[in-house]
Amino acid sequence: MKINALKLRLKDALVPLILILIAFLFSAIWISFMGKSPLEAYRALFAGAFGSTSGVVNTVKKSVPIAFASFAVIVSTKANVFNIGAEGQLAMGAFGATMAGIFLKGLPAAVHIPAAILAAALGGMAFALVPALLRVKRGINLLVVLLLMNNIARFLLQFFVLDAFASDNALVPSTDRIMESARLPYLIGPPYRLTIAVLIVLAVAIVLELFFRRSTAGYEMRAVGLSPEAARYAGIDINKYMLLGLLLSGALAGVGGGLEILGNHHRLYIDFSPGYGYDGIPIALLSGGSPLISILGSLLFGALRTGSLNMQAKVGISDEIISVIQGSLILCIAANYFVKYLLNRRRSGKAGKEAGQ
Amino acid sequence: MTVSFFVVLLLSVIRLSTPMFIAGLGNMYCERVGILNLGAEGMMVSGAFAAVLGSYYTGNPWIGVFCGMVGGLVAGALHALICVEFGGLHAISGLGITMLFNGVTKFLCLSIFGSTFTPNVAALQTTKILQGVPVLGKYLGALSPLVYLGGLIAVISYFVIFRTPYGLRVQMVGDDPRTVETAGINVWKMRYSGVLICGLLCGIAGAYMSLGQLDRFFEGMIAGKGMLAVIAVKMGKWEPKGILGTALLLGFFDAVQLQLQINGIIGIPPEMLQLLPYVAGIAVLSLQTGATRLAALDTQYLRNKYKF
Repeated sequence: MKINALKLRLKDALVPLILILIAFLFSAIWISFMGKSPLEAYRALFAGAFGSTSGVVNTVKKSVPIAFASFAVIVSTKANVFNIGAEGQLAMGAFGATMAGIFLKGLPAAVHIPAAILAAALGGMAFALVPALLRVKRGINLLVVLLLMNNIARFLLQFFVLDAFASDNALVPSTDRIMESARLPYLIGPPYRLTIAVLIVLAVAIVLELFFRRSTAGYEMRAVGLSPEAARYAGIDINKYMLLGLLLSGALAGVGGGLEILGNHHRLYIDFSPGYGYDGIPIALLSGGSPLISILGSLLFGALRTGSLNMQAKVGISDEIISVIQGSLILCIAANYFVKYLLNRRRSGKAGKEAGQ
Repeated sequence: MTVSFFVVLLLSVIRLSTPMFIAGLGNMYCERVGILNLGAEGMMVSGAFAAVLGSYYTGNPWIGVFCGMVGGLVAGALHALICVEFGGLHAISGLGITMLFNGVTKFLCLSIFGSTFTPNVAALQTTKILQGVPVLGKYLGALSPLVYLGGLIAVISYFVIFRTPYGLRVQMVGDDPRTVETAGINVWKMRYSGVLICGLLCGIAGAYMSLGQLDRFFEGMIAGKGMLAVIAVKMGKWEPKGILGTALLLGFFDAVQLQLQINGIIGIPPEMLQLLPYVAGIAVLSLQTGATRLAALDTQYLRNKYKF
């Protein structure tokens, strides 16, 4: 597995925008294939996401777990590994937070909330531990294992929700509700229900930026990501940082899942995540490794997820089209070398003409 | 524990290991020409759904299988275009293929049938002709004809890889594309052929899962089988015999958990039993020793005109 290739170096700000545009055009083909107007569909999508106050709030709300998933992927790529298991770690983090929220009793909110977030981080981290150890000790293909771990997480989630911790009085299969003291306080109260999770996202993004730019550990981790050979030569323990990177990555994904439970759902159910963990992958790759920029990408995907419901209601296009956009975006990212080649050819072609005159 | 129990288990092992086996053979071609394929899952999903569509609209399951092959081929062509022609990143492209076709099939399924599963269609679950065979007919006939097709593909693959000029070229491209090009062989044509064969076989594997094991498609039905196929290839050392062995081993764990679920012998909840094949897959992968023999696996080999 060549992780070096993962450093996409999309310094050209134009390239991410072109890739996103291609993904939207490609998905438009599928929409018109179903006999609907893509223009109308995308307009409904935009209106759903930004057309009303509740739309905007929902967009921001949904971007929280997505942002954490993208942080998780960013941190892992800095350490020269590629964490595509964020979806599974997110689910395990949500489970950790739910457990802390239900079974820790009699704590004040100021203690209970941090404890539940810590439990979420530990849940995600624990789930990243097995693949991380296998990678470092046995040198196995991490991507294959991480994708299988996502499958395992689904079954574990079903086990927790349907069997082990199933609530007796719930309409859809779910766990019991978490304690009042574990629920995140509102920034904007009902009917919008925007919680302090938004502030946590910003704080974590800033801390991560500082960690990579200012701290020794962050610097060394980046060195491992940029060139493992050079880092090894400089006496940096590569395996240590791979392990550290994956565990930190798992913890971040876990916190994303945990905040989703503590802030929005207040109980765990099987389909609480429509694929937030997968959303993080294209965002992280397009953001060029910057957590702050990835927040912008998360807002885009939050908007897609919010607006797609409106699109489904108004135009009759299944909100599954989001997965199509997501998948084609990842394919575009994989082929980004070719996009850069085309851009380069156009530029050098122009330059050549000017020189000729 | 009677003889019939073991026969049922054996049939179950064969049934469950077939998709991993066929997809694994496909991946063998793909990895041997130097292209990593994490998109096997997506190719299988595409094949499974296309097969059901074909059978649904024509009523003929064999046309369904053909559509499945086309479905897998389309996904394979996309992977080939990105990895062979555009010099793309194999791992990310594979991931994208899997996510795209999971999304596209669910989207189409919802748009056409209004739910995440299709109605029942004409399927290929048993082989009528073999039921006439004395003594064993009852068992041979209980397997899908696609199982036998899989066996045939394995035998053919063995000869193609080890006994034909094409097979020798495939082996060389995965080792050292530059030398192969110097020898006057078109590296890109070889790489295209490997990925396309992979797409075709993954399509058959998917068609087997939707038409050979069941008679419908539902969301999430492939559930990691493509990934297990990738493991089978690595563990099987890129040889048909090894892939068959690993696929049977993984199929065995799947069959055991299924039998335990059906019989309810021990009080383990079904979700925990379903984990068994995945855990076995990870364990098998971690037992693998030695470095990759395919030096050119997961590398870009660009045409000169695309270099800048």
